Amino acid sequence: MKDFSKKIIFIFLINYIDLSIAPIISKALIIFPLTFLSYSLYVYRSNKNIGPIEGFLIGLLVDLISGNFFGINATLFCIITYLINIYSNSFKIFSYLQVCIFFGVSATGYIGFSQLALNLYNFSYSTLLISFIFNILFCIFITILSSYFPKTINTKI
Amino acid sequence: MAGKIPTSGQKILYLSFVFLGSIIFYFDFTTNSFQSIKNGYTSFKISSIFLIKETTIEPFKNFFNLTKSKENLIQENNNLKEALDISNLNNYLISKENIFYKDKNIIQYPIDKKNSSFTYSIAKIKYINHNIFNCCDNHRMYIELISSNLSSNLESVVFNNSGIIGQVITDEKYLEVILLTDIDHSIPIKSKSESFYCNARGSGRANIIICSYNPLVWDEDILLGKEFFTSGLGGIFPKDIIIGNVVNIIDIDSTKKDLEIKLFADPLESDLFGVIRN
Repeated sequence: MKDFSKKIIFIFLINYIDLSIAPIISKALIIFPLTFLSYSLYVYRSNKNIGPIEGFLIGLLVDLISGNFFGINATLFCIITYLINIYSNSFKIFSYLQVCIFFGVSATGYIGFSQLALNLYNFSYSTLLISFIFNILFCIFITILSSYFPKTINTKI
Repeated sequence: MAGKIPTSGQKILYLSFVFLGSIIFYFDFTTNSFQSIKNGYTSFKISSIFLIKETTIEPFKNFFNLTKSKENLIQENNNLKEALDISNLNNYLISKENIFYKDKNIIQYPIDKKNSSFTYSIAKIKYINHNIFNCCDNHRMYIELISSNLSSNLESVVFNNSGIIGQVITDEKYLEVILLTDIDHSIPIKSKSESFYCNARGSGRANIIICSYNPLVWDEDILLGKEFFTSGLGGIFPKDIIIGNVVNIIDIDSTKKDLEIKLFADPLESDLFGVIRN
């Protein structure tokens, strides 16, 4: 129950940050899906096997609190959970850079799909490209940060 | 690290949830059926934020605002009091009974004719020992200039809105003022008729100065309540400024009488003083 409450509070907090920074960075044609990336990282780092039910429910909660159409995050969170789980062995032989690129690409995929579904008339490839670079750089930054603070971020990304 | 690779059964489960998610999304996208849930959540969020704010932040905010408004009020009050004191000083300076610049030979700079404003300095009380003032001989006061129009304030006359209270004896960061009641101080005074002059020395008592005279030399009849004015002799104090009235007459012997004169100006009654130089 304590763990569940922690997760819920964390989702609310991350989503709040996500929604707060979105209007600022969108001026630079960047979309930064912080909630999605945080969830991906959580699944990646988790020692437990995160199933589709958890991914689906978390996705639905994110849909609710972010005011999106129901189902979009639920679907995408399920897909990323599946992808991370299916590549769980491959990640062990991946370099840091490859892992960063994987998360960058998946974040870009999330942006592309959600933009197609929610913002079709203003869909922009330049936004997608800049976001792609930004998300990869962000993942690299987190990796470097985990090298400098190994006890705070106590595992490799 | 992520857990095990999904088995075939789990893959079907994943597929089912992805399918279910897509159906829900399509349903919501086309029919907007979940709007009531979203509205309910939004209203819950707004009321929760409002409630949390009301119970946590607002009391602190109100308290802060209350103290702030109180501080503002006190500041405003102080400013008004200061403005009133300055106005009283101005009024004292120009009042018909105490026209400072009447003695043109002594007071040269009280009014700037070009700007039609007074050019005396305004000072604020910094320190006065009330106990010493009420008990002992040494009656000194320290004042700090707020606005100064003079290069040197030494021997300047210090007054409040009731009258002259003393003169500056040290011109440093704070001006040291020797009060009229200090036993080391004397002020030349005269009667209204100008047939009686004497040097009134400080008594060491609050608001009392003593004028000792020889009744054989000064034959004017002095009665209780008689008013005395500055004579202007000595060049420090301006002429014809009312000082106080007689409250006690002591016959010491046939050649000496003491007049106890109660001053009209009390240095403790105001915080703001005018400093004017002859």
